[in-house]
Amino acid sequence: MSVAWIGSQPVPLADAVRTAAKLLASSRCPVFSLDADVHGTRSAIALAAVLGAAYDHRSGDAVAREVALFTDHGGMFTTPGEVRRRSSLIVLVGDIAPAHAELFKGWGGSSPDLGDKAPRRWFQVSASDRPTRRGKAVVKAVPLKGEGLSLNATLAVLRAELQDRMVAAPLQNVERLKKAMASAQFPVFVFSGGSLDQAGLVMLQDLIVDFNSRHRLSSLFLPDDDDAWGTVLTSLWMTGFPPRTGFINSLPSYDPVRWDVQRMIREREADVHVWMSARGGEDPPKRGSAAVIALDKTERPARGAAVTIAVGEAGLDHDGVRYSSRVGTFTAVRAAEPSPLPSVSAVLRQLAEAMPGKGTLIC
Amino acid sequence: MLTRLTGGEVVDPVNGATGIRDIWIRDGVIVDPREGEAADQTHDVSGCIIMAGAIDIHSHIGGGNVNTARLLLPEHHKAHLPRPAATPLSNAGWSTFQTGCLYAQMGFTTVVEPAMAPYTALHTHLELADIPIIDRATLAILGNDDFTLSLLRDGKSEAMIDDYVAWVVGSTRALGVKVINAGAAAAFKENVRAFSFDDEVPEYGLSSRKIVKSMQHSVTRLGIPHPLHVHANNLGLAGSADTADVTIAATEGVPMHLAHLQFYGYGTQGKRAFSSEAARLAESVNSNPNVTIDVGQVMFGQTVTISSDVMRQFSAIDKASPKKSVIIDGDGNGGGGIVPYSYKRNYYGTLQWAVGLELFLLIANPWQVFFTTDHPNGAPFTAYPEIFELLMSSEARDARAVELNVAALEMTTLASIRREYSLEEIAIMTRASPAKLLGLKDRGHLGAGAIADIAVYRRGKDIAKMFREAALVFKNGQLVVKNGKVSAYRWGKTLRLNPPPDRAMVKRMKAYHEDRYGLPLEWFTFPDSAIDRDEPFMEVPWNS
Ligand SMILES: [Zn+2]
Repeated sequence: MSVAWIGSQPVPLADAVRTAAKLLASSRCPVFSLDADVHGTRSAIALAAVLGAAYDHRSGDAVAREVALFTDHGGMFTTPGEVRRRSSLIVLVGDIAPAHAELFKGWGGSSPDLGDKAPRRWFQVSASDRPTRRGKAVVKAVPLKGEGLSLNATLAVLRAELQDRMVAAPLQNVERLKKAMASAQFPVFVFSGGSLDQAGLVMLQDLIVDFNSRHRLSSLFLPDDDDAWGTVLTSLWMTGFPPRTGFINSLPSYDPVRWDVQRMIREREADVHVWMSARGGEDPPKRGSAAVIALDKTERPARGAAVTIAVGEAGLDHDGVRYSSRVGTFTAVRAAEPSPLPSVSAVLRQLAEAMPGKGTLIC
Repeated sequence: MLTRLTGGEVVDPVNGATGIRDIWIRDGVIVDPREGEAADQTHDVSGCIIMAGAIDIHSHIGGGNVNTARLLLPEHHKAHLPRPAATPLSNAGWSTFQTGCLYAQMGFTTVVEPAMAPYTALHTHLELADIPIIDRATLAILGNDDFTLSLLRDGKSEAMIDDYVAWVVGSTRALGVKVINAGAAAAFKENVRAFSFDDEVPEYGLSSRKIVKSMQHSVTRLGIPHPLHVHANNLGLAGSADTADVTIAATEGVPMHLAHLQFYGYGTQGKRAFSSEAARLAESVNSNPNVTIDVGQVMFGQTVTISSDVMRQFSAIDKASPKKSVIIDGDGNGGGGIVPYSYKRNYYGTLQWAVGLELFLLIANPWQVFFTTDHPNGAPFTAYPEIFELLMSSEARDARAVELNVAALEMTTLASIRREYSLEEIAIMTRASPAKLLGLKDRGHLGAGAIADIAVYRRGKDIAKMFREAALVFKNGQLVVKNGKVSAYRWGKTLRLNPPPDRAMVKRMKAYHEDRYGLPLEWFTFPDSAIDRDEPFMEVPWNS
């Protein structure tokens, strides 16, 4: 089985590494699209620093929206463990990413053992025109919506209702929710990055802060993509910044517009693109003119890539560390089906060593 | 290789009087050379003073809350980059990489992150492992989790409590134990908004006093070298000096460390009902030799407060500047709040600044008072050089006081205190004493057998400059800083205790996590290999 290709030609791994290193060494503007576990991300950012490259997550836009909630606003949050143990009232906000179904199942099948210890009740805030699809199969929630209201508008009306202000048209089931909130000791609103836009995220947090002036209420943030959120956290400690960071004179600079890697590729600023897909099943972007170095969980060359190197997935092919929404932090994962595929981190270290005059990574 | 530092004035109070003598290094360790032996390498450090590498016992340098602060405040880094002198935070080592470099440049070689939530231990250790050059350590937070509170409520045996504390310390790779407003985070989840030493956590019927005393005795019984590290109740409030007093009284002769005492130095006197009780608190420390404290000095300017004291941080969100904050109701001992804050030269800021200095100067024994800003809560650690100057020069204090709020200064004894710290006292406070407090016998002094963590400072009139830019710094014998700039990178170790886990406790933990969290224990623990670095940890022995 081949593990490395130059163009569509199978080659020994060392040849592919050497070719990739040459491409990077001669690049004017290299960029990275990250998709790896913590150690892959650490190695990638360390290499980006050496190269003076910019990096972003592969799903840059979705990640940028989640990041902006914090950089622009902040909020009140809790953890999945605390919700399971303490929240007898769970309010889902919008459509939660289906990846979190297991978590909801766990809550559905258990009762809180702390706080009010009441049986769990579920509500779901949604737009009037959108039937809730995702997550519906897992839990049965009381719908909260209003005639002709978008999700953000529904949240705005809900906030007014919870402050006992006048509203033009009441939300369906809102009295039931108000009653539940009055009796629950630690209710929680659950949202994911994809379930709300920026204005909705801010609206939700304002509602929560208001409510906390007298009662307790928190929110649980479930990232749209756990690995992407792990990359955000790793980036923060390594450079002080979230992704969409570039290195100028080896100093990191964060600029969500300038270092939007998709944009840099589209507008032909980038000339070499290190594209990762440690989970496989994706293709590098078609547009732009950048030469693609693909670190892909694949058995064939990645579409349009100058170099493809097959990599394994942490927790499947090899051990690693990944962010998990089940615990709200990093967790060590063991290889479930150990394979000889190298980790992203191992490939990047080899790449760094093959760079002419660049030496080994500090990370 | 044998290295010799010659011509320097050695300030090493543990090993004798200050004077000019040579320091010899072989294989990363300080040695006495054999008769007639010649050095392979000699550094002439005439005109310099030589101290052991400094040790910071309380600085929030890594882990979930620190990282959330980075997420909340990217502009604190970016906006200030072009004018680093104007804003201390821009120098503050926002990334792990800068943290190691900036500490090393000041001659610090070991730093303790004092607030690791046990369930985010892996995250904390990943960050600490990415801090270059220096050694790190961390304290595990206890006192707010259901398991501890249930053991105490149910009157379980001391042996079982000890087994649990030891399991937490071991599995999280901690060097000690800290309580943070013990019981308050649990109470806040049940809508309690104020929590004092004798208030009780709902559901458990346990006072903060009971939790603190239980943890203090457990740490002592177990032989954990560092005494229980206590972040007391009522931080920052007018009248918090009374809380500090009752907490000190409750130590009953058993060792305890009180963190950032400055934030508890306030009375309720004066027009603004906010006054200094530092003199009284210092007296209380002076008469309780079992108690140690660190100061948590406030300096002026923009910073961000990072604390697991979620109840206190929630109460501060209205004062956030800029106007954004993150509050987390975490698992058990985790969570907290991140609230940006700017210390102004007004009445309140001035009083806090003066209270810190009063504590430094009125606590007589330099072995009892530790040098901290509670980074970044009182000020970023990059403000240390200025604070050394304030401690060593009453003239510098007078000069600074002129710019500050007169009414506040009149509420303090600061102007009347003329004490100036000697270099020996600085060496005790920042080297010898931290090593002793943490149980690190291999550092904090320059005697033969100590690891060669060495800071060389060029003597000069400008005390702040001297401490800001070490002339030379050696870490484990390797030269890492030259003329105030990092000259070589290396990876340090994270210092930890490694008690053998009690088998019955491990069984209990497995059952507890599967039952309460619906997940196997492995989701909450990790092997050393998860750090992905060669030998990331170094074991520190227990007290026998
Ligand atoms: Zn602190």
